[in-house]
Amino acid sequence: MTDQTLNAIERLALVKQERMAAQLSKRYGKEKRFRFFGMASIVIGLTFLAVLLGTIFTAGFSTFFSSEIKLTIHYDAALLGLSDLNDEDQVRLADWSQLVKKALKTRFPEVSGRKQSRQLNGLASSIAIYTLKDRLLANPALLGTTEDVWLMADDEVDAYMKGQVDPSVPEIERRFNDFQIGLVDQLVASGEMKQSFNTTFFTNGDSREPEQAGIRGAMIGSFFTLLVTLSLSFPIGISAAIYLEEFAPKNRYTEIIEVNINNLAAVPSIVFGLLGLAVFINLFHLPRSAPLVGGLVLTLMTLPTIIISSRSSIKAVPPSIREAALGLGASKMQTVLHHVLPLAMPGMLTGTIIGMAQALGETAPLLMIGMIAFIADVPGTPLDPSTVLPVQVYLWSDLPERAFVAKTSGAIMVLLGFLAIMNLIAVFLRKKFEQRW
Amino acid sequence: MVKNKMSSIEQTFEGWKSTVGEPLLAQQDTRISTRNVDVFYADKQAIFGVDLDIGKNEVLAMIGPSGCGKSTFLRTLNRMNDTIDTCKVQGDILLDGENIYNKGMDVVSLRARVGIVFQKPNPFPKSIYDNVAYGPRIHGLVSRRAEMDELVETALRKASIWDEVKDRLDQPATGLSGGQQQRLCIARTIAVSPEVILMDEPCSALDPIATARIEELIDELSNNYTIAIVTHSMQQAARVSQRTAYFHLGRLIEVGTTDKIFTAPDHRLTEDYITGRFG
Repeated sequence: MTDQTLNAIERLALVKQERMAAQLSKRYGKEKRFRFFGMASIVIGLTFLAVLLGTIFTAGFSTFFSSEIKLTIHYDAALLGLSDLNDEDQVRLADWSQLVKKALKTRFPEVSGRKQSRQLNGLASSIAIYTLKDRLLANPALLGTTEDVWLMADDEVDAYMKGQVDPSVPEIERRFNDFQIGLVDQLVASGEMKQSFNTTFFTNGDSREPEQAGIRGAMIGSFFTLLVTLSLSFPIGISAAIYLEEFAPKNRYTEIIEVNINNLAAVPSIVFGLLGLAVFINLFHLPRSAPLVGGLVLTLMTLPTIIISSRSSIKAVPPSIREAALGLGASKMQTVLHHVLPLAMPGMLTGTIIGMAQALGETAPLLMIGMIAFIADVPGTPLDPSTVLPVQVYLWSDLPERAFVAKTSGAIMVLLGFLAIMNLIAVFLRKKFEQRW
Repeated sequence: MVKNKMSSIEQTFEGWKSTVGEPLLAQQDTRISTRNVDVFYADKQAIFGVDLDIGKNEVLAMIGPSGCGKSTFLRTLNRMNDTIDTCKVQGDILLDGENIYNKGMDVVSLRARVGIVFQKPNPFPKSIYDNVAYGPRIHGLVSRRAEMDELVETALRKASIWDEVKDRLDQPATGLSGGQQQRLCIARTIAVSPEVILMDEPCSALDPIATARIEELIDELSNNYTIAIVTHSMQQAARVSQRTAYFHLGRLIEVGTTDKIFTAPDHRLTEDYITGRFG
């Protein structure tokens, strides 16, 4: 029997084994390569993430600690020029810095000369005097007595303590000279210098003095902004999604709306900032730099995200559930509220929190509505001028003092911490609602 | 081959489109009557001028090849097609003499009177108890808890699933087997005490044993309810129904007692279908 007498399939059967074997090794090779590429891309991604987090942590970690000097303070009424603590004018005019200067002079009696005295006085932070003032006003009985107080050190001292000053560099090239190093070394040797957790960073607003600058103002500002954003965009976004998905007729107009929502999701955020400036501030005269306006602008920005993700999670609810409810005589509204919404809720919440996380990290639109201003006060209401965490990062990254570099990274760490917490909440909520299936 | 034969029938057989048999009943026996019903999906007509009566306490089976419009027709009977934007219904459908497509007709109360069981079991992702209690609850039929408990039990008993679920009423209905889920869906439907139950191929997703149980159930239910059932299984139609309607390409071809349809159909198409020449 020759090959000519066989038909195509019979001829194929003869060579099938060997052709398939050739194909097999090719297929395995492809699969192996694909797996390798996948793993390689993940490894590359993780490496970059590790580098990013590593740099931020090493640069920012030190900002959570601050150096303090122990000084023996004598609350000398004569030195302060203060006789009555209840007299506001006297308290205001009193020269509180004298207390610190005196204490330092007492500690280092050998220091003399104007230049060296000034350098000695520079060891303590300029906010140390407010610490003393607050202590004395809180406890007037201290007047005339003496006590040991831990006072915040200057940012240059702090930098030296954290090993950021290299004494081998020629003295002329550093801001912290050998004389000051000698003083600090003495204090360290006698246990009068320590590093402790930097509560100031979390309790103060912004400041031009790095050791005083904190992120509380930005944190509260971010909180108010997100509160406004959440309380507006969640109900509006979900209602819009439900209406479009369940009630609106499918026609040309709803199609146009859909296309526009998808477009809005891709509009650069700075455009929303300009819109907010034109509408909320210039037209409605809402206060500039206020979290309320920031929240309104971010609402516009997050709405498309929430609507799109809510719609897709509503779409994912099986139609059989809707039919079951309608077949029992549930109205459209009851069907949606009792059956569709509970099943779509996890997806909606995920979308909302992703939108919120975006809003938390948003900077550009807030610059347009004045949230970039230098504001030292911690806002008390959403109408007070304020800034937010990412803008604070931007502001600090621009400042020349060395300590602000660490502050910038510290603020980024706090921001990342909040993002992580929000994502955890999203996971938690999803799990919780999914249990209700 | 089969296809050619079918079209040859249509070509050679003049007047195949008109209904033969006994589609109409005496008025006092009728629960639902449809007159000249056309259904359109956008521009495509799915149902052509159907005249059909469904009697009180009878089981009417609707059979026919896929795409013949029997499910579409069933769904017009409680306006489930309203949810499809492009679907348009013309003609009269009367429930106890009242046109259900009248402007004044409330769809919610209509569906409480004409319940429906779907092809695929679709329990709510809630507890077994809540599945049955949902209908009475939204219609405000029962206020006291004890009354509701009794109603749920009765409905589950009638759907002959009570013994299997009585110890786990608070457990998810989605954990039941397919056959149990379908019986639960029937219990859910009868819990609102409808006059008519529509069934859209209720056994097509079930195994033969579960199917047999549902068929027994249909038999029992027919004592109290009017049942219209769409089925692909001719044996099932023969087993459960008193009357059978045969649909073909959107037209009602033949209606008669089930015995007659399956033994001596008048229409060539019906005969070809039940003898298995196509379909």
